[in-house]
Amino acid sequence: MSGSEGAPATAMPPTPPTPSYVEPVPWRRLDARMLLVHPVRELARFLPALVGVFVLGTANDHSSWEVIGVALPIALGVLRFLTTTYRITPLQVELRRGLLGRSVLTARLDRVRAVELTASPIHRVLGLAKVEIGTGSTARQDDEKFVLDALAREPARELRAALLHRTGRAAPAGEAGAADDVDAEGPGDGAGTGVGVGTSPAVGEDVVLLAVDPRWVRYAPLTSSGNVIAAGLLATLGQFSDRIGRLLFQDTSVASQVRQVPVAVLVVLAVASFLVLGAIFAVGGYLVTNWRFTLSLDAQGRSFHVRRGLLTSTETSLERRRVRGLEVSEHLALRVVGGARLSAIVTGISAKEAGRTQLVPPAPREVVDRTGAVVIGRTEPLHLPLTGHGSAARRRRYTRAVLGASVLPLLVALLCLTTPLPRWTLLPALLPVLVALPLAADRYRRLGHALDEQYLVVRSGSLRGRRDLLQRDGIIGWNVRQSFFQRRAGLATLVATTAAGKQAYAAYDVPVAEAVALADAAVPGLVSPFLV
Amino acid sequence: MTDQTADEPAPVRSAVLRAPAHRVSSKAPVLWAVGAAARSLLLLGGVVATALLTPWDPAWWWAAPLVLLLATYVVAMPVVRYRIHRWESTDTAVYTQTGWLSREQRIAPMSRVQTVDFEQGPLSRAVGIATVTVTTASAAGPLKIEGIDKAVADRLVEDLTRRAEAEAGDAT
Repeated sequence: MSGSEGAPATAMPPTPPTPSYVEPVPWRRLDARMLLVHPVRELARFLPALVGVFVLGTANDHSSWEVIGVALPIALGVLRFLTTTYRITPLQVELRRGLLGRSVLTARLDRVRAVELTASPIHRVLGLAKVEIGTGSTARQDDEKFVLDALAREPARELRAALLHRTGRAAPAGEAGAADDVDAEGPGDGAGTGVGVGTSPAVGEDVVLLAVDPRWVRYAPLTSSGNVIAAGLLATLGQFSDRIGRLLFQDTSVASQVRQVPVAVLVVLAVASFLVLGAIFAVGGYLVTNWRFTLSLDAQGRSFHVRRGLLTSTETSLERRRVRGLEVSEHLALRVVGGARLSAIVTGISAKEAGRTQLVPPAPREVVDRTGAVVIGRTEPLHLPLTGHGSAARRRRYTRAVLGASVLPLLVALLCLTTPLPRWTLLPALLPVLVALPLAADRYRRLGHALDEQYLVVRSGSLRGRRDLLQRDGIIGWNVRQSFFQRRAGLATLVATTAAGKQAYAAYDVPVAEAVALADAAVPGLVSPFLV
Repeated sequence: MTDQTADEPAPVRSAVLRAPAHRVSSKAPVLWAVGAAARSLLLLGGVVATALLTPWDPAWWWAAPLVLLLATYVVAMPVVRYRIHRWESTDTAVYTQTGWLSREQRIAPMSRVQTVDFEQGPLSRAVGIATVTVTTASAAGPLKIEGIDKAVADRLVEDLTRRAEAEAGDAT
């Protein structure tokens, strides 16, 4: 109702009445150029079907199928354009879509935590960007995500500024929105002309805090991402192993040559080629995702922007006041060569969205520390000496490592005794124990916690080592966990719960009295009524 | 490398948490025992059925330690749990303690309480006990007070709701 009154009704698609409790802010459409994006994407999705259509069509002369095959995706795209509208009222942002099942997504503006602009290659050619609004709702299904796909690049940026910096806006938002929309005549044009809430506070340039150095790509092979892709690829190839095998071994001379190679050599070759493949994919992945990665702070110092991407470009914005701390990821492989990566702990970003808060991709440790210090505005928390967790924690690390690692040798030993399995197999089976011991040592050495005026710092893990700096103000509860064995060892896992990031940050195996004292010191007054 | 922990650790402070003030209802362990007995019988029935219906033919003395183990579980678990499960709610915070083999103490400040849930299954309804769950803005922090008398639960819910309302801010 309010929508069709406040603005030129002609510009509006036939819409059902909107709730009357919001101010009359007209609905806007996506950018008309998105009409080109969706059909292309739909075509890509229909490609397998299309190939079939054309193959079948030409073979059987069913030309009508071809038409349907091409027209259907395009029609879907047009429908999506016609049925998707959005608007920003002074209080909330609303997204309305769907032809048959209408849905209206509503998010309060003060719940908007992060805004992400993504542009696939198609988007970039057309000068468009997809706007994704993070409201931190954990309950959202995938299809309930707040996505505007797509707006023109500039309006998208203005929208972002408006969403993130409502507090700084000058004019009453409703008026600005209505005024802007007067010239929203042609369908699709409206989206390009204004944003609704406030004007973009484009005073001054963003301050660049970090620009990725291409040389950092050397850290990429040490992350696990490449191996994951390689494993996926090999698994896919495995599906066709029959055919590949036949192809390769058709020539009997090749087959006999291969048979002469000892199994051990084949295994080593396989592992080596897997690692090389993984490294190649990792480097590729690093370049594609972190190409021209820059972290910057807007001129008013209110939000961080992360820009990156070779093909698909992504701009993530985080409100500075929602940053509750830092996660430094120090996986063993990275640590060995002096690398690390950095993410922000941000309130209201759901666990699923957590990946978007990366501030520094794998990079030298000094860079991570320096950037982290700039982001939180202090240097000390990143260089605090940590308090270790003591001998009981050390014993526990070793016990757990040895117990876990001895499963395999025990099994093999059992098999050696009961089956004709050769004795020498016991030797490679002992390998896990050899690996586990230094890992346990490292895991213990890294266990630690510290407290300064503003931050709680906890560090743990070895292979997937991490160091978390959590603002003490952001701690909204404590869990003191003790397993049966921890209780016998007088240890406890102290978990600080928070509304940000992983929601829980733990100090493992702290002597229990120390854990309670730490909790008491970190949030004064919370624990003290319950102390003996 | 800065990986090293401090050579001279900060002076170690220590503090000890006392148990929360209130026990749960004395009816709760009965309910836990009933649940445990039901699960045990189900497991036992499954094992017996497998032994009878499939070629798997275990020696029958196996049954003895299994039955003993389950019986211990049915009897001891509720007793131990009853001794551990406790709760307390003050002007400033909610404090719970749960577990039986492991143990967990949770503390949430009143100012961060977001929702207070009251829950009663059919069995607990029959005996007049309830579960109150207090959540904060963190997904990791719900405090569950399981098996308190319905009257106590009602009062607690009312109390918590009133106090949480009185606090300002969006609890994050």
